[in-house]
Amino acid sequence: MRKIEEQNSNEVVVDVQNLNVSFGEAHIIHDVSFQVKKGEIIGLFGISGAGKTTIIRVLTCQIKSKNWTGKVLVTDLTPEKKKNHQKILSRIGYVPQLELLNLYFELSPLINIETFASNYGMKKEEAQKVAEELFTILDIAEDTWTNALKKLSGGEKKRVSMAIGLIHSPDVLFLDEPTTGVDANKRYDILNYLKKLNRRLGTTMFVITHDLEAALVCDKTAILREGKLLAFDTPQNLIQTLPSKGLLARLTIEDLTEEMIEIIQEYEHCEKISRVGVSEVEIFLNNFEKNLNYFIDYLLEKNIKIVSMSRDVANFRRFFQILIQEQEEMERKEEKEKENIGRERREGRAIEDEREIEENNAANE
Amino acid sequence: MKLSALIRKELGRIRADKRSLILLFSIPIILIVIFGLTTGGSTTKFFNAAIISRDEIPTYGDYTSNSSEYDEEFAGVFIKGLGSFGFQGYYPCPNEAAFLYAYEKNMELLRTEVIDVFLVLPEYFSEKIENETTNWIAYFVDGSDSQAISAIEVSMQEPISVFKQEIEMTENLTVLIPYLEFDVPFWEKQTINYAFPLTIPLIIIGTTMNLSCLSIVSDEPLPRMVITPTPKSSIILSKLIANLLIMVIQAGEIFIGTALFGLYVLGSLFELLLVLLGVGVAGVAIGLFVSSLTTTEQQANQLYIILFVVIMLFSGIYINPDDLPTAMQLIVYMFPLSHAIPLIYNITFKGLPLDYVRYFGLLILSAVYIFLAYIIFLIKKVEV
Ligand SMILES: Nc1ncnc2c1ncn2[C@@H]1O[C@H](COP(=O)(O)OP(=O)(O)OP(=O)(O)O)[C@@H](O)[C@H]1O
Ligand SMILES: [Mg+2]
Repeated sequence: MRKIEEQNSNEVVVDVQNLNVSFGEAHIIHDVSFQVKKGEIIGLFGISGAGKTTIIRVLTCQIKSKNWTGKVLVTDLTPEKKKNHQKILSRIGYVPQLELLNLYFELSPLINIETFASNYGMKKEEAQKVAEELFTILDIAEDTWTNALKKLSGGEKKRVSMAIGLIHSPDVLFLDEPTTGVDANKRYDILNYLKKLNRRLGTTMFVITHDLEAALVCDKTAILREGKLLAFDTPQNLIQTLPSKGLLARLTIEDLTEEMIEIIQEYEHCEKISRVGVSEVEIFLNNFEKNLNYFIDYLLEKNIKIVSMSRDVANFRRFFQILIQEQEEMERKEEKEKENIGRERREGRAIEDEREIEENNAANE
Repeated sequence: MKLSALIRKELGRIRADKRSLILLFSIPIILIVIFGLTTGGSTTKFFNAAIISRDEIPTYGDYTSNSSEYDEEFAGVFIKGLGSFGFQGYYPCPNEAAFLYAYEKNMELLRTEVIDVFLVLPEYFSEKIENETTNWIAYFVDGSDSQAISAIEVSMQEPISVFKQEIEMTENLTVLIPYLEFDVPFWEKQTINYAFPLTIPLIIIGTTMNLSCLSIVSDEPLPRMVITPTPKSSIILSKLIANLLIMVIQAGEIFIGTALFGLYVLGSLFELLLVLLGVGVAGVAIGLFVSSLTTTEQQANQLYIILFVVIMLFSGIYINPDDLPTAMQLIVYMFPLSHAIPLIYNITFKGLPLDYVRYFGLLILSAVYIFLAYIIFLIKKVEV
């Protein structure tokens, strides 16, 4: 198996510039650009319908080139040309969301592996050797290798599925929602295995996910919303862009009401407030260190009773929520403006129409 | 290498599909055992026959030679007591008057059940054999016992085939024209010996279609397979080969069973095997076609049932394609049994050699189904 020559080198493995995807009238991806370097784990986040799968499908040669524009290179080859497909496909791996889409349950892990390996032109012995290595990293017990897959647990199936994705030592591995539908403990297991594989093999990984916890293992995160790339950077850098570099105060307040939240919002240095529980809020202040004391005075003044308080740094989950919220608010504003303009125009036209009818009537008479 | 691993995977999947396998291998055996036990493999009934020959009537014009030795040779087969026939009498007729007399006499014998059947050899019987042109024999049976009619019809094939061997001519000879006295439609009732060769291709086509009709639709990792460098053609080819291998095993089973039970086959057993294989190929081909055309297992199962019924209807057993308008005939001939049944019928009952033209037609038909399956599979959307 190929070992990493140089972890996190500067070699660009996936290069996407101004990607636009449309299916007929539907414009699905808008001007998305990003670069992925060798050995990175990229998390592709976004709520349902954001276009995560669509981007991956472009990268994995599954969308006809007539449906997209832009410059896309996967291991220096563009999926735009059909003649590149074979080569690209032999250099990438894919782990679908559902195991049943990747595994023949009636066959054993080894037979499954050999079958897929043969698709990459690998010999049986070669496949077995790599499989043994992968199974060892992934802790798949030897006595299960030749059992029918349907007898294995869900977690084991997932790991076999990951092994299949990596059997041909691909340059890039795409994983679609690897932690969705997996219970809490196993989620961390899977993320750990991903990190372990990434470190041992140096494989560049693309993880599509709803699971914001997955950002823990990502070198970079991409946040998509309605086909637009809102952010693409390391989770730390993204959090740094929040007010006071993500520092926040988490307060538990007695009998918390909406009015109290409004009062807090009115405080001049309050940048953002979000309710995170029945009686809990998180507050971002500008110039956090300086203003925190004044802020507490303000609350006492307004008769808001603080049960407890802690300072913290925002996590990726919070960043994601804030970003999406901001975006939604912005769009709502824009829409209102558009509506207003539209209404004015319509009213203008209505008056013109009336005038026309009157003129016609006059002419008829 | 690539293909062999894919084939192994397909065979593994088939092996896991116990239900289809049980259908595939148990139904023919059950059928063979039932038919084998009920018929005992050979007809035990014994029939009395008489032969009237018009071959002795001198012929002029049409044929240069005026031979008439084959009628006696034919009678000889009956005299030797071959097959299930006893010999009652031979009536060579040198002229029409003699024939009329012989005919009346034999009708009387038939009515009084002294004989069960009498055969009439035509005027040019020997000449036609010499010239190797299509020949015929008419026979008259007592139509009052329909079961006996069928049995006689079946048994009749035997001495005829012996005769054919004796004169060392297999082609172009003796198309039998069954002629029934007392007007009972002879197809009304079929003996069990008839039923077997006609049932077995139905079973083969049904079970092989059942085997392969889920091959593509139930292959859930297939979209994943498509995002590997493996071409779609290898995928479908591996499915075809794996299913054909299983089908060959089934045909072998049927062949051995048929031979062991000595079921009624006049012609070559080997040629019968060839036709059964042809039917199996068609079944696999249509099954794959169904599988690539449909998107869910339920759809595939429904289409399978529909096609199976249509194939059965258009097998030529229920509807004679010759009675249909041309357009309809074309449709009938798009289904494999309309070719396979006559092929089997000719081999088992008539002892005729395999009609290779028609046989290749059957294979080409299968190739068309496979080609269609491939094209549909190519344009079919398979996505992860
Ligand atoms: N072939 C297509 N034709 C038309 N619209 C499509 C097509 N494929 C995807 N879409 C639309 O593109 C949008 C993005 O879909 P996509 O599957 O990429 O979302 P996603 O982020 O992967 O969502 P999820 O998390 O639910 O998987 C959706 O609104 C979907 O309806
Ligand atoms: Mg998706």
